[in-house]
Amino acid sequence: MELLLLVLALVLYLAATVGFVTHLLSGRDLIRRLALAALAGAFVVDALAITARSIVSGALAVTSFHDQLSLFACLIVGMYLWMQRRYPLTVLGSLISPLAFLFVLSAYVFYTGNREFPRDMHNLWLPAHIAPAFLGYAIFAVASCVSLIYLLQDQQLKTKRRSDLRRRLPSLETLDELNYRFVTWGFTLFTIGIITGSVLARERWGAFWSWEPVQLCSLITWLLYAVLLHTRLVGWRGRRAATLTIIGFALLIVSFLSVNLLFVGRHSALG
Amino acid sequence: MAQDIVIVGVNHRSAPVEIRERLALADGQLDDAHRRLLALGPIKEAVLLCTCNRVEVVAYADDASAALDGIASFLGEGQNIPRDRIEQHLYRYQGRAAVQHLFRVAASLDSMVVGEPQILGQLKEFYARAAALGAVQTVLHRCFHKSFSTAKRIRTETGIASKAVSVSSAAVELARNIFDRLEDKSAMLIGAGEMSELAARHLLSAGVGTLIVTNRTFDRAVELAREFGGTPVPFEHFPRYLHLADVVIGSTAAPQHVLTPALIHEALRERKQRGMFLIDLSVPRSFDPAINDIDNVYLYDIDDLGDISEDNLAERQREAGKAELIVEAEVTGFWEWLTRLDAKPTIVALRERVEDIRRREVEKTVSALKDLTPRQREAIDALTSAIINKILHAPVTHLKRPDADSEMFYIDAARRLFDLGDPENKDEK
Repeated sequence: MELLLLVLALVLYLAATVGFVTHLLSGRDLIRRLALAALAGAFVVDALAITARSIVSGALAVTSFHDQLSLFACLIVGMYLWMQRRYPLTVLGSLISPLAFLFVLSAYVFYTGNREFPRDMHNLWLPAHIAPAFLGYAIFAVASCVSLIYLLQDQQLKTKRRSDLRRRLPSLETLDELNYRFVTWGFTLFTIGIITGSVLARERWGAFWSWEPVQLCSLITWLLYAVLLHTRLVGWRGRRAATLTIIGFALLIVSFLSVNLLFVGRHSALG
Repeated sequence: MAQDIVIVGVNHRSAPVEIRERLALADGQLDDAHRRLLALGPIKEAVLLCTCNRVEVVAYADDASAALDGIASFLGEGQNIPRDRIEQHLYRYQGRAAVQHLFRVAASLDSMVVGEPQILGQLKEFYARAAALGAVQTVLHRCFHKSFSTAKRIRTETGIASKAVSVSSAAVELARNIFDRLEDKSAMLIGAGEMSELAARHLLSAGVGTLIVTNRTFDRAVELAREFGGTPVPFEHFPRYLHLADVVIGSTAAPQHVLTPALIHEALRERKQRGMFLIDLSVPRSFDPAINDIDNVYLYDIDDLGDISEDNLAERQREAGKAELIVEAEVTGFWEWLTRLDAKPTIVALRERVEDIRRREVEKTVSALKDLTPRQREAIDALTSAIINKILHAPVTHLKRPDADSEMFYIDAARRLFDLGDPENKDEK
């Protein structure tokens, strides 16, 4: 049942991806609506899948790798659909949808079946750690997609290529402002996640800090985004800000994957 | 056939801006350039055109092929560019094709942005300049005035200039790709010129909030600022205000770059790297092209904007088609006039030649028949005259009233059949 929902979500994410890319190339409004509908459908199915797994395990399903991947996709898409009301950036959909597709595909590939939530994991600090951390990740993901579009538009304008793409992409100023807003929010949540995480670590492992891979990667990413936000005040915006945002997110992905695929550190098994 | 109208030049399609800016003549060089053209020998009349998008010489010459060659060398020589560097970019027109080219230029059919109105005014200015120097006589006088009236006719009879598809609107379109809102943005206008003023006007009407104007002649800056509701700043201080400008429009006749990467870096520091959009409308360019390599700065020169506006022109093509038909008709009218003009010397030469033969033959006969009375001599004279007049009547009529296609052929044939000399080959022999 859960696996079936996952497959259905996959199909819908793929359909949304195809739709958004087609819209980007053709500019037809009907295709845009269909793509958005497919993405919204995928979001609902993905959320249902998570709910189904959570019911089985007795708590929010975040303990397995596939749980995390699927939750991550769901959060990113939810974020996008939510911001779509204020900033109708259709182009962003053509990056968000394939990203979500990739995450859910990985979730499907690495699906390890449901398991019960470990008893000893029940702790008030756990949701306080996981919720902001994951939301922060998702916001950074959307921020990097916005940054990628920024770099694409920047390149279109610099090389003066004669294409309709430039006309369909949002203005650089819009993208830069969005990037700033997302990174600020992402950074805030990420910071909260790190703080509650270290409190949680203290409770479970006896120390706030233990030089564990995820902690180290998070610290580097945190520093990078801190620098990004700080230098913005001095004037690092536009291209550099976009590039840094993407690098920061790449670091997050690397830490997330290495921890879960190489099974190093305490975060991977979560107990 | 030898006398003809010729055009040699480069335009935005045939040559990149790097070549055009080197071929461009400064205002002060124009008079001398006309004199040098006329001194080339085969050229009887000449008008030099030099705008952002074209440098060309329109000439009426005794020997068309020599003139084509002479002008091609002339264009490079004056600016110290080797002939072989520009050769591939030159276009040459002769005869009817040259007239058609000129008419198309005047009607803005050959413009980067088809239908833009500036070219006609520029053409008139350059024509007046040449005329004042005495470089224009009957043929070019009529040719240019016909091109002006054709352009006017096209403007009123077709919709070619009705839509604001222009370099300026391309600039606005790009500004919207860079900036989200234009209302809180400022523009700076460096130098004055029809194109740049138009661009400023477009940006202001698109919503750009404030305008700073600078010009080498401060009075002009004040005048423009008043016209646009902007702020004038003295030219030597403009870098101080550069960081306030989100959009900078340049149109100066400066021999070196007015905006350099160093100036832009400094402005960016002050404006905390907020993006800048630079529009260089001058040829030679007044903003250093290297500026485009700086992050968050987007520099577009006149060719770049032209490329974009070209894309917006699809709708104008239909109107342009109508305009081409008008050009065709007007060119035909002018060409008939010109070739009739050309027939005159041929007819005169033909009459002289035949009269010459008649007189000689009459003299021979009269001296052989010694005892002719004056009356008889007169009768022979009258008889022979009547014969040649009767014979010449038909060919002369045809030479005077040709049908369009065969007319040059008739003149040529007459010259050959009666051995009237071929001025085209005179120099080569």
